[in-house]
Amino acid sequence: MSSTFPLRDTSASAASGWVDEWLRRARPVDPGHHDELRLPDGQLRPAWRALATQLGAPFDELSRCQEVLARQIREDGITYNVYNAAGGSSRPWSLEALPLLISPEEWPWLERGIAQRADLLNRILVDTYGEQTLLREAMLPSALVLGHPGYLRGLQGTQPLGGVYLHVVAFDLARGPDGAWWVVGQRTQAPSGLGYVMQNRLSVSRLFPEAYRALNVQHLASTYRQLLDTMSTLAQPCAGGDTPSLALLTPGPYNETYFEHAYLARYLGLPLVEGCDLTVRDDRLFLKTVQGLSPIHGLLRRLDDDFCDPLELRTHSTLGIPGLTQVVRAGNVVLANALGTGFLESPAVHGFLPALSQHLLGEDLILPSLPSWWCGEASAWAAVRPQLAQQVIRPTYPVLDTPGGLSARRKRQQETVLGFTLSPQEVRAWEETVAQDPAAHTVQTFIPYGQTPVWSEGGLSLRSASVRVYALSDGRGGWRVLPGGMTRIATRDDGPVSLQQGGSSLDTWVISSEPVDAFSMLPTSVKLEELAQRQSPVASRTGENLFWMGRYTERCEQQLRLTERLISLRAEDDEPEQSLLQALSALGVQFGMVPPGTPPLDKLGRLFERAALDALGDAQAGQGAYSLAFNLSELTRTAQALRERLSPAHARLLRAMATDFQQALCPSVPVDPTALAARVSTVQDALAHLSVQLGAVTGAQSDRMTRDAGWRLLTVGRLLERLIGHVRILQAFWRNQALQHPQGFDQALEMFDSTITFRARFQRRLEVPALVALLVMDESNPRALACVVRRLRTELGKLPERAGAPSDLLALLPPLGVGATLASLCDPVSGHGAMMNLLDHLLDAGWRLSDEVGRLYFAHAESTDSMVSA
Amino acid sequence: MTSPTPDWARLWVEHETLYHYSIPVEHALHVACLRPLTDDGQQLMQFDMAVQPSPAQQNILIDSYGNSRSHFALHAAHSDLRVTAISEVLVRARYADLHAAHGPTCAEVRERLRYRSHAPFEPASEYLHASPYVPMLPELRDYAQASLQDHRPLAEAAIDLMQRIHRDFLYAPASTDISTPVMTVFEQRRGVCQDFAHLMLACLRACGLAGRYVSGYLLTVPPPGQAPMVGADASHAWLSVWVPGLGLDRAGDWLDLDPTNACVPGLHHVRVAHGRDFGDVTPLRGVIRGGGDHTLLVRVTTRLLAEGVGEPALAPTWGGAP
Repeated sequence: MSSTFPLRDTSASAASGWVDEWLRRARPVDPGHHDELRLPDGQLRPAWRALATQLGAPFDELSRCQEVLARQIREDGITYNVYNAAGGSSRPWSLEALPLLISPEEWPWLERGIAQRADLLNRILVDTYGEQTLLREAMLPSALVLGHPGYLRGLQGTQPLGGVYLHVVAFDLARGPDGAWWVVGQRTQAPSGLGYVMQNRLSVSRLFPEAYRALNVQHLASTYRQLLDTMSTLAQPCAGGDTPSLALLTPGPYNETYFEHAYLARYLGLPLVEGCDLTVRDDRLFLKTVQGLSPIHGLLRRLDDDFCDPLELRTHSTLGIPGLTQVVRAGNVVLANALGTGFLESPAVHGFLPALSQHLLGEDLILPSLPSWWCGEASAWAAVRPQLAQQVIRPTYPVLDTPGGLSARRKRQQETVLGFTLSPQEVRAWEETVAQDPAAHTVQTFIPYGQTPVWSEGGLSLRSASVRVYALSDGRGGWRVLPGGMTRIATRDDGPVSLQQGGSSLDTWVISSEPVDAFSMLPTSVKLEELAQRQSPVASRTGENLFWMGRYTERCEQQLRLTERLISLRAEDDEPEQSLLQALSALGVQFGMVPPGTPPLDKLGRLFERAALDALGDAQAGQGAYSLAFNLSELTRTAQALRERLSPAHARLLRAMATDFQQALCPSVPVDPTALAARVSTVQDALAHLSVQLGAVTGAQSDRMTRDAGWRLLTVGRLLERLIGHVRILQAFWRNQALQHPQGFDQALEMFDSTITFRARFQRRLEVPALVALLVMDESNPRALACVVRRLRTELGKLPERAGAPSDLLALLPPLGVGATLASLCDPVSGHGAMMNLLDHLLDAGWRLSDEVGRLYFAHAESTDSMVSA
Repeated sequence: MTSPTPDWARLWVEHETLYHYSIPVEHALHVACLRPLTDDGQQLMQFDMAVQPSPAQQNILIDSYGNSRSHFALHAAHSDLRVTAISEVLVRARYADLHAAHGPTCAEVRERLRYRSHAPFEPASEYLHASPYVPMLPELRDYAQASLQDHRPLAEAAIDLMQRIHRDFLYAPASTDISTPVMTVFEQRRGVCQDFAHLMLACLRACGLAGRYVSGYLLTVPPPGQAPMVGADASHAWLSVWVPGLGLDRAGDWLDLDPTNACVPGLHHVRVAHGRDFGDVTPLRGVIRGGGDHTLLVRVTTRLLAEGVGEPALAPTWGGAP
């Protein structure tokens, strides 16, 4: 693509010039911080020298790359924090063009240190949930195990399958002032970031493909594969000889890192499920699918322990899967990671790791932790108490969700404070706070993090960085370290490094001195018989979302047409017919385009028009109008929940459709709302653009999605919405006798998108029987009722079999054709009655089918759990 | 001439829980913690737990505190759930030989529980730390310290603390529910048996001492001449404090105290389960799907079947409820 760097002349003389240019553009490092870019003598470090030599010095390109990244991120909808309808917004992910570089000399040592720590933590878990010798020998204080809310007694004595507690463990690393690496934190429950790591890699490697290859940057894909292999191998015993079924468990679209859950699910090829999609029967875990209950043998979870099982783990939340703990105890599921590992995330644990490493591994720790003092140990507290002003005070325990919430004092205990930011009085106050409950506090040494360059305002600015690295279990006691990671930088150089506070991220390049493993995520050793039947079940909630995606798509299309019709009235030479105005008014209300109670067009036309225009861009359904912008935003929301099933292009298109429409209707320069003509022309442009986009969306839906049960439900949703909408249009025209006039006749054809066909067949004749033949009876006209009914019969017939389905569903539709003959509908005497009967019958069938499909395929996705206690 | 004080009693308890749901429950998972303990101080002679409608699946587990829990699942739609547990328990006097003025001091016990590297581990540490219903509160430490003075024998000091709580707090049924924080109870000076148990546990733990929550029953019908005891229409709750070297045959190192009634439990307290707090030993809890609004009715009936001195006859008197 055009945003990549052009090839450079890499001759020695040119290279040295570029290196100088990089140095000239580099701003100074903050005092006391390690400089990732330069050696103490001011020269570029070798890794950066290599990169500069590869890239040359096209600094304008860098600015452009940065823009390209920002645009890609926006278009791909890569977000970090919560999307919520109640005023919150999803913040775009932030990614820098320049990566963090880790040199080939350093990596093997880091890799060993990370693997060693992963091994150590897993052994600690084996002991604390088993023999507890570490507690009995006082290698670990009971306060940090039994006293930690993350230690789960319900799993004491339960070994996870294969003895693996940690399938993925993450460590946050940072460099101290002398350049030495420190472990500053560890994530053991459900470490986040693997999705962003891959996304960052794809974005950044695309910018600098030559440099990426030339520097032998280590690839990531095979390590991701390891995760799946490990889970599959470990889950083998639960699957009873079949290939284990795995899924990725997410808290849902409102979670701050939902984007990456969806991304990871798509990348790993796992179904993305929420707690309500799963159920427990006879100590086994099942996915509720439109095909029925389908067993699940392994869950890669992005849900913290607390939320996993409302029955046993937390009584204040009904998220999660009731009974999951019992499934784990029965050995019927692999949870990655195992439940109950959260207590190792406490900063207090770090102080005990060196001795534990000696005790359990007989080795010194390769990578040191930040010096940490758990204040619950009297000697540690006494030693660190005089130095609080130079250290960091951190809570030993996570925020414990106690009944009734936290007191102000307990909230204070949950803060992390930097001693050097406190006044002497504040230091004394903190000393008192810690002394009140020493066990709840841990003191750690403060280090200024090493700083790495980012491209900013025409120069290289140095920012404090930490890197999250990952170790993955091989399921047999070994560990594999992901050669890369997620580097995060602070926005301000003195701030803490956290994405929640608005930092940014970098790709992490582990440079190799040898050619790299060029594996990409292709499945190895797949059995042929599996390939044939490899269709994953469709979760009921996914099915429901797809069904609604179909309905919203069609609803948008119908509203688009109806709005176009309303606007076209303005262009008519003649005063519009009363009957047509009445029909369109009725439809406007029925389709939610104007608030209920709006006076009809034939009475106060201007008022109706204005109400329709006001509602059009109102995504909040203000005053009860569910108009186009609202339906577009519902469509986007539904698509958001289906992220792992839609291609990136399809998802991008859907997002663009809603945003473009919103932006077109809410111009930055406010238009005088009374200047109707100007507004109408804006709306016409917006509708024209939307029409093209909708065409592309429906094209993607019918042509680019796998035709599994989920797609079938989407199609059924669209067809039902079309049946209902088109029946209502005909009803409105018939009731108001609007077809008796040329204007009404033409408008009806337009609304069925059938003008061209009609002209071709019947020229300009205005005969109602011809119109009935084309709009009602014609099985080859995709908008005609008979065609919609026929296609519904076909698609419903292919839905998965459930009790009474699909036969009961089919029984709701006329068995043949549309359920009436052309002759009966056009009979001069009984024709009108026959038509009204047919339309009533079809509308009723549409509503009932919608209910029945919901009841049969999604019912269990809807009801929620509640807690009882006596 | 007075007859000698009984040192055993046989009690019969029926604990019935009834749920009625306004909309049928489609699917339910429950955990019941209703089976009384058997140990040196108490023997479960008979136990029967009936669930209606019949569960699709049921497991009995022993939890990490040694309690028996029954997990059961209902997959068929139901509008009513009835769980009836009937127990016959032989309770023995555990604290007849208690000498509260002897034994280790508060400071000595605290020292044994304090973490130092390579110091011996006390299993009672399980009950030393904050737990969901028992937070660490300095206010409670201040309150408790008037009783739990360093040099004072712990048993005596704990009894004193219990008596102060009984004096300072009003037993007020329905003044709190299970989600009322201990701090609110402390400020309002009123609550029910669970609150007083949690409050006293928070006092003990804030002072570095170990205490566990006890769920159980209390005999309602008072023997002639004795005052009725409070808190018995539902299940009851009290606590137990760890006093190493207490040296009691039937109680080990644990001293039970009932702050609601300001007494050391005798023959009329039946112990069902131990845990860190109510959350560990909730008698019946569940997650239901559907159900709408529900009404709950809990009935506990206790009867004294027999009491006496010396060795009781061990044959159960099943069905012999008076």
